[in-house]
Amino acid sequence: MDEQDGRTTVGADVASLLKRCAEGDQAAFRRLYDSQSPRLYGLALRLMKQPALASDAVHDAFVQVWQRSARFDPSRGQAEAWLASLLRYRAIDILRRRSREFYGHERTDEPDTAPDAFAQLAERADGQALHRCLDGLEETQRRAVQFAFMDGLSHTELAARLGAPLGTVKSWVRRALLGLKRCLEA
Amino acid sequence: MSATILPDDEDRTVLAGEYVLGTLPSDEAERVADEAIRDPALAGAIAEWEQRLAPLAATVAPQSPPAALWPRIERTAYGPRAGVRAGRRDGAQGGRSLLAWKGATAVSFLIAASVAGIALFDRVPMATPVAVLAPLGAPQAAFVIEARADGVVSVLPLHPAIVPTGRDLELWSLAEGEKVPHPLGLLPAGGTKLAAGVLPPGHAQILISLEPAGGSPTGLPTGPVLYGGVLTRAD
Repeated sequence: MDEQDGRTTVGADVASLLKRCAEGDQAAFRRLYDSQSPRLYGLALRLMKQPALASDAVHDAFVQVWQRSARFDPSRGQAEAWLASLLRYRAIDILRRRSREFYGHERTDEPDTAPDAFAQLAERADGQALHRCLDGLEETQRRAVQFAFMDGLSHTELAARLGAPLGTVKSWVRRALLGLKRCLEA
Repeated sequence: MSATILPDDEDRTVLAGEYVLGTLPSDEAERVADEAIRDPALAGAIAEWEQRLAPLAATVAPQSPPAALWPRIERTAYGPRAGVRAGRRDGAQGGRSLLAWKGATAVSFLIAASVAGIALFDRVPMATPVAVLAPLGAPQAAFVIEARADGVVSVLPLHPAIVPTGRDLELWSLAEGEKVPHPLGLLPAGGTKLAAGVLPPGHAQILISLEPAGGSPTGLPTGPVLYGGVLTRAD
């Protein structure tokens, strides 16, 4: 069992907490929640705008971790990034289902805060390369990637937000992804 | 075929990237997630995009979640402490106490019960475990299927089943040697009962898939198959 030693272990051992969760360690699950839920809830609120929906997404993501239906493979990268992805998939899935239930409902236009995220990237040590590579894309391609990632917009919603035909937006996303991969691997 | 390796590679990169960005419609996203279980190259491409784009997610300011969120997660993950669950079916009283058991313990308990049941069989409609369903690729039991002497079959979760918001679990049978599963209906969180005779004879597979709310719209599993097991009945 886990000793409550009072020390914070932020981020340092997310991977080992995940491993212990997979073994059924409830104390590890609680510590994982304590250290990761503010980050994941912030991300969910950013994507979903509504606290009730954001709570649903965080709930589902943590339950998936505990249920072991989602497994972290340390050979494939950072645990924090994996957790954030798990949250994003749940959030986006809930958003898509809602937009299907409420046919014709349009999400209110939020203030355009994606450029802030772009600017903040440059200030983070781990964001330098991605910032440089996003900066190297055409403006339309970069905006498509940012709106999709930060606001959870689908191809169709992107087309509405960017005022361009669906096919055009799809090709922006495609070229942006290929360009980013090339740049980040260079 | 070698001429197509490059475009295939490119398409996979883009599809994985679109999946991680979240631009795909939900049915297509589900298909990609499903495909990634079988295709390590696609799974790898998805993991790469998750890592590449992670710094963008890290720019979002953390926010304190509502205090009620953790108790809610605990309830779903560990199950209701008091044991009473809304919507439980009658006749599953034996199953309710099982919910408090750890999976392995419950399975050995059931095996013991079935052995003890031989002597009691004529007097009590004793349930005999006929299959244990585990998450695919994992050894731990998640559901147990019991056949009663009157032929009614119960599907009971060993832990309360966990279903994402807006989804349902659906049960399927896949008869020996067949390729197309047959729907057996939705599987509520507390388990379900199947009428006598609905399970195919022999060592059929029983599968549980994750479907849109209300079940598969196509009559075939559309979501990932989460649990599976083989019927081992002696009748």
